[in-house]
Amino acid sequence: MALKTRKKRIEVPAISPRRKTKFQADLAPAEDRAMRLLKEELQLSSNTDFLSDAVALFRWAVSERKLGHRIISESASGERKVLLFPRLERVAPDLVLPRVDIKWTGRELESLARLVSAGEANRPTDALIRAMRD
Amino acid sequence: MALVIRRLEEHDEVENFDCGDDALNNYLKRHAWTNQQKSSIGVSYVALDEDAPRTVLGYFTLAMASVPRDAFPKKYVRGLPPYDLPLILLARLAVDRRFTGRGLGHALISEALRISLRVADEVGCRSIITDAYRDRVSWYARYGFVPVEGAAVTGPQRMFLDVRTVRAALQR
Repeated sequence: MALKTRKKRIEVPAISPRRKTKFQADLAPAEDRAMRLLKEELQLSSNTDFLSDAVALFRWAVSERKLGHRIISESASGERKVLLFPRLERVAPDLVLPRVDIKWTGRELESLARLVSAGEANRPTDALIRAMRD
Repeated sequence: MALVIRRLEEHDEVENFDCGDDALNNYLKRHAWTNQQKSSIGVSYVALDEDAPRTVLGYFTLAMASVPRDAFPKKYVRGLPPYDLPLILLARLAVDRRFTGRGLGHALISEALRISLRVADEVGCRSIITDAYRDRVSWYARYGFVPVEGAAVTGPQRMFLDVRTVRAALQR
């Protein structure tokens, strides 16, 4: 007797082609000129290649600063320059803060306890929002 | 002027720094480096112009502090977590008076709060505290610091900023 087997239909998920992200930037004329010049110097013909290389370089710089390494250029005569780039400094792991003792009055401690145990924190002020955006 | 803010280094030029306040000048010139490097009492961050990357134009100092849970008045302890309360202390913030009015103070406090957030994310911390000169209270209040009641009338005003408020600002 022949056994009938039920064929199970397996849905193969359609493999979607990798979506590419479009990137558009508004550049000031000077930045545009600088970018064109850089592309020329680096012999890059497309903006995509330019951006891709820039991202690769930035990723490397971020990973180095995250490790606490400093990025230095050295001239033939041995003169050294340290790269100081504010946004890179934000990822540097120089975060170990030493501990100090603060003196508190009884009333300050009461006030602090009330502030800390508040269910909801105050809403950020406009200046604070700007400070965190800058 | 392209501004850079980074940790104080040994050979930074601090001798000509003048914010108009002897205590703040003296701290930077005499104690900031020693406290940071040898004594681990506070870490100072300095603002510099990219074109003169050793001359300090402004600085702030951060440290960690905590309040033991049993130091709080008994009737408030119930609402607090069962641990000592960790705080970040914004110990000093000053701008050389030759560079006031250029947004250096804003840049410094912005960086101080960013660092505080990162510290809070890494080691856990609920609030930032500073002792503000009386004439600077309104400046700190602009950034959301609120006065802690009970300070002596003549001395500096202790001020409090909830880390949750800073985090909320980042998400706006």
